[in-house]
Amino acid sequence: MKYQSQMVAKPYFIAAIGLFLGQILFGLIMGLQYVVGDFLFPEIPFNVARMVHTNLLIVWLLFGFMGAAYYLIPEESERELHSPKLAMVMFWIFLAAGVMTILGYLFVPYATLAEMTGNNLLATMGREFLEQPLPTKVGIVVVALAMLYNLSMTVLRGRKTAINLVMLVGLWGLAIFFLFSFYNPGNIVKDKYFWWWVVHLWVEGVWELIMGAMLAFVLIKVTGVDREVIEKWLYVIIAMALITGLIGTGHHYYWIGAPEYWQWWGSVFSALEPIPFFMMTVFAFNMVNRRRREHPNKAAVLWALGTGVMAFLGAGVWGFLHTLAPVNFYTHGSQITAAHGHMAFYGAYVMVVITMISYTMPLMRGRAANSPLAQVVEMWSFWLMTVAMVFITLFLTAAGILQIWLQRISDQPMSFMAAQDQVALFYWLREGAGVIFLIGLLLYIGSFFIKGKAATAD
Amino acid sequence: MNPPRDRRTHAVQAEALYLINLLLAPGLAFLVLLWLARRHRASVNPLTRSHLRQTLTVSVWAGLLLVGVPAIIALVGNLDHPATWIVLLLYVLCCHATLVLLGVLGLSRAIAGETFVYPLLGSRKW
Repeated sequence: MKYQSQMVAKPYFIAAIGLFLGQILFGLIMGLQYVVGDFLFPEIPFNVARMVHTNLLIVWLLFGFMGAAYYLIPEESERELHSPKLAMVMFWIFLAAGVMTILGYLFVPYATLAEMTGNNLLATMGREFLEQPLPTKVGIVVVALAMLYNLSMTVLRGRKTAINLVMLVGLWGLAIFFLFSFYNPGNIVKDKYFWWWVVHLWVEGVWELIMGAMLAFVLIKVTGVDREVIEKWLYVIIAMALITGLIGTGHHYYWIGAPEYWQWWGSVFSALEPIPFFMMTVFAFNMVNRRRREHPNKAAVLWALGTGVMAFLGAGVWGFLHTLAPVNFYTHGSQITAAHGHMAFYGAYVMVVITMISYTMPLMRGRAANSPLAQVVEMWSFWLMTVAMVFITLFLTAAGILQIWLQRISDQPMSFMAAQDQVALFYWLREGAGVIFLIGLLLYIGSFFIKGKAATAD
Repeated sequence: MNPPRDRRTHAVQAEALYLINLLLAPGLAFLVLLWLARRHRASVNPLTRSHLRQTLTVSVWAGLLLVGVPAIIALVGNLDHPATWIVLLLYVLCCHATLVLLGVLGLSRAIAGETFVYPLLGSRKW
């Protein structure tokens, strides 16, 4: 580790992993509620479990991105962070806000929570993924602005590289597009239209910049390939991500009351969206093949390669599967969407954050890499979580195909709930794969506690 | 140190054509690949021979796996039954994605100036 202030990343990563565990536990609870409807009812109703599952995902990934930024930007800028103290204050504010929000979801009826937190002053709650109470949303903005100030000052006074600039643009985009969560028009078409400006333009827009920067940073470190080569790849990848992803927003506008031309624009541009993910896979494998040194942290290299592959599969292949308007006419809002969502989030964002954690944590703990045993356990966790996620995706895809047939293609279409009963077998199988995923995650957490002599390059 | 670019050119072209055949222009890209393989069949460069042989062999396999097997599933199964569609779609999705990922591996090896044998389907002679 080159700069002392990079250490502020550590609590962010620890919080991220803790919240990740929470997310998976609530995913398992909810997965079971799909087949045992009254499981933990009325203590944790399905809608609350779902909200906690998805909100924890968002919050822990944000912790991961912030931690990654606080580590990466000082090193790329070749100077200490502008204000490590501000970064730590923001960490505690964000953690407190996140935990209180989750506790609020769990212990206060949602309508009461809305009343208590000033939703009548500015109504922003009650929308999928943006359920956070107003003070939490304001808190996110404050934390994001303080972080951007801190990071921008660091970059402005230091070396500018493609990696820190792309990371910074991604983080600014993240903050700017979040502002649309405060816009909640009465017209439901407009509401959905701008809701996607947060949701889609995050995950299929600016987050891809953050992901690309993180992956490029780790690949430079573990392969020793020339910065110029990696930066050229990064520029092309983010250009493709923005060219395809921005107008690709149209694939959410097919059936919400937006003009019909979106069916063409959305189909054409989102059909191109796999390109940046495809390039990322080629990029990761190409850099590792051209490596100039053997890095002792083999687990980080594995996570980096896995990110490319799984992001391509989850975001690219499973995204393309249902993105064309004539196909989406049948698949919209079915378990196919859930299959895509699970693998895309895991492949693109969960794995890139873990890649970063895997590379930086040993350095922040005073060694280049963890002990060989710790790395073996970590690599086991990689395979368990990744294979489990592949099966979760396959089972949800199978459930989706059957659901679509029963609800939308059959001569005698079933109601939603009747169709859900018919796909229960796949939900059970998904739950089993989810348990394997949890075991993988527990192994991953366990790998941090395995002691031993640091591994050296072969 | 990177190997000279000209040594890798045909290997990269072969892998790119294999991927284009799978993703953008099925059939057409295969014909170009056939032409390329014929033109360089006696190349003294083992990298060129390796990648051309691999991509040609696996492209033929890909055709069988992505057209032949689904056709059999459709013929043997009942297309009025959702189970057939579940098997058919999952098979095509997994098989196609796997073949593309293998192509990505092959392409990255070609760019790095290394030979590559496709797992299970690739030929060990070139």
